[in-house]
Amino acid sequence: MRGDRLFITVMLGPALIILALFYLWPMVENLRVSFTDLTLLRLRVGGQWIGLANYEEFITSPETGRLMMNTFIWLTAISVAVRLLLGLAIALIVNTPLVRHLRLATLARIAILVPWATPPVVAIIIWRWLLEAPNGALNSVLLALGLIDTPIAFLADLRTVWPSVIAIVVWNTVPLIALSLLASLQAVPADLYEAAELDGATRSAKFWHITLPFLKPTIVVLGLTSVFWTFNNFVYVWLATGAGPGTFTNVLATEIYIRSFVDFRLGYGAAIGIVMALIMAVFGYFYFRMIGRRQIEEVL
Amino acid sequence: MIFKHLTACLGIGARGVIGALMVGAALLPGVAQAADPVTLTFRFNDPEQKEMRAALDAFEKANPGIKVNLERMAWKDARDQFLREAAVGETPDVVHIAFVWAKEMGEAGALAPLDALIKAKPPGKGLSDFIAMDLATGKNGKVYALPWTTDTWAMVYRTDLLDQAGVKTLPTTWDDLRQASRDVHAKTGKTGFGFPAGSASSGSLWFLANYNWWSNGKALIVEKDKTFSVGVDKADVVGTMNYFKSYLDNGDTPKSMLGVSDWADPVIIRGLADGTIAIGIMPPASFREAINAYTAANPGKAAPFKSGPVPKGTTVGTSHLGGRMLGISATSKHPEEAWKLVQFLNDPSIFTGAYKSQFPAQRSLLQSVDFGPELKGFAEQLTHARTWGPYAEGPYAMGSMWNLTGRAFGAALSGQTSVDAAAGDLLTQIGKLNAGR
Repeated sequence: MRGDRLFITVMLGPALIILALFYLWPMVENLRVSFTDLTLLRLRVGGQWIGLANYEEFITSPETGRLMMNTFIWLTAISVAVRLLLGLAIALIVNTPLVRHLRLATLARIAILVPWATPPVVAIIIWRWLLEAPNGALNSVLLALGLIDTPIAFLADLRTVWPSVIAIVVWNTVPLIALSLLASLQAVPADLYEAAELDGATRSAKFWHITLPFLKPTIVVLGLTSVFWTFNNFVYVWLATGAGPGTFTNVLATEIYIRSFVDFRLGYGAAIGIVMALIMAVFGYFYFRMIGRRQIEEVL
Repeated sequence: MIFKHLTACLGIGARGVIGALMVGAALLPGVAQAADPVTLTFRFNDPEQKEMRAALDAFEKANPGIKVNLERMAWKDARDQFLREAAVGETPDVVHIAFVWAKEMGEAGALAPLDALIKAKPPGKGLSDFIAMDLATGKNGKVYALPWTTDTWAMVYRTDLLDQAGVKTLPTTWDDLRQASRDVHAKTGKTGFGFPAGSASSGSLWFLANYNWWSNGKALIVEKDKTFSVGVDKADVVGTMNYFKSYLDNGDTPKSMLGVSDWADPVIIRGLADGTIAIGIMPPASFREAINAYTAANPGKAAPFKSGPVPKGTTVGTSHLGGRMLGISATSKHPEEAWKLVQFLNDPSIFTGAYKSQFPAQRSLLQSVDFGPELKGFAEQLTHARTWGPYAEGPYAMGSMWNLTGRAFGAALSGQTSVDAAAGDLLTQIGKLNAGR
């Protein structure tokens, strides 16, 4: 028994050391920094302990409401919902007998993979070029078709900036959803559909009672990972809009960057990072407990 | 056993062998030092990488014991990247920095004081020949960088569009500029004043806002008896915001400029070159890009451009004296060789060869620069430009003020908030910067 414990400890030891070094230590260090007034100019000297002052400032800041709204609603909730719906639609289309009959399934898979294979930075540059005013491709097309009279600054106009950012995020990330759901769709037993047809089930009934329940575990896992990934994402908003116009598209991740590397307030930036981590931990806990435990277990 | 056998064969004792090895080990670094050249890293952030490499090759030839690695960093990332590197001692030996960074980087311990090096081997015609030395000197009186190049912003015009619009003389006041922009748009359908109205952290609205305040005898930060305070009130900020907003509201500057923050954005350079923008404001290097783009597209044709002072530019100091400095990292292992490189880079030949887009920061060299007819406005404006002075010396962080001003103006110009609210918010935030430091 004692020998087993020793063996287990020795075997797990390297992995635990790596986890402690690369995950635990940075987290603990970030937590420590969040209680200090450390700035980039005083990195060599270190910051002074200021307790919860950074957290207090963040929570009472008039900007925090907008940051939360932008991060939760625009960047995360809407973009994840659009991604899941669009991914499901693409998967269903690619899985139709017609696409298979026309031997287009492989071509469709390759077409889906292209945006996914495009690095986010490149994707954003492409989209900026498409959306640019006055000479961007989209403006040129809309002007040529007579649909608009003057070019639209898609990434600077308050009415279009969030939909534009969401379009970029969705374009770059929907392939993962679509391909995962496509794989799950192909695992649905065909005899279930045959039995349903014999019972006179409509197309919609088959979708709601066979397809969707089969896909639910995958959707739950994809939803969870997409929320974590999107909530923490910095690159799309920063490179597409620079958090502007004004602070209109500023989200928590870009606020951390601005505070840490524009204002040089590393302590304050670390505090926002801790708040983000706590929000995600709480979200993950409730998501797991209330919605996804069984589904996640099925997938895993 | 083998060791014993070896010593016996050589006819020396073990102590002798150990002694010989120790002497050899002690001598080796010296031998290696004599054989290996010192390798410096020079971080140069401007586009002339090829030309600068050629200049460094000449430096290496003249100094056989020194090799120089050239690396580049985008200007917008250069400041925080260097400070991060300095904290862990992994910095380039010689670093290219903006005028207003020297003081803070020196006081943060990231740049080495140059006083001893300057005393041992003074640069050029002596320190007094260099402009903006106040920005290179820390509160402790130590010099942390050497001004290298300088420039300022000026107005640039497409003369053909001004002619079509009936604008006979270049604007000299903000109202003249407003009217010229309106006239160009009304009579040609082109963009009048194509200014970058975007709100990025390092955007151009910072400069435009300050120029406007300075021309009215105000400044965001003022100093009196070594006490620093905010020198504009809400009415000043509202006035300036409304002034620039009127261009976008009236349409002579398209709303798409809200998405442009950089003075050298392709939208502006291309717009000036292809004649869709009539008026711009920028540093000389960007103006040269526009002229080059025009010349490339219209070979053999005279470029229809003119530069002129910024509004009220020759009566009040309304543009900033910008420029770059060279600093030596505090963790450089070769400060003397690095100083040799800094001195080489200040040689007059550099400004006529590798680095022509900037003007030298040495008064004696600046007087001999041939600005040419297109850059006449820049030459005129340069003599009236002012340093950031209290902005850089006071307790307010430049980067934060720049960011807050850009955000507040962006919010007002885009309609995210009312002008009144944006102005109030800007002053509150700037006030907090002071309180927080």
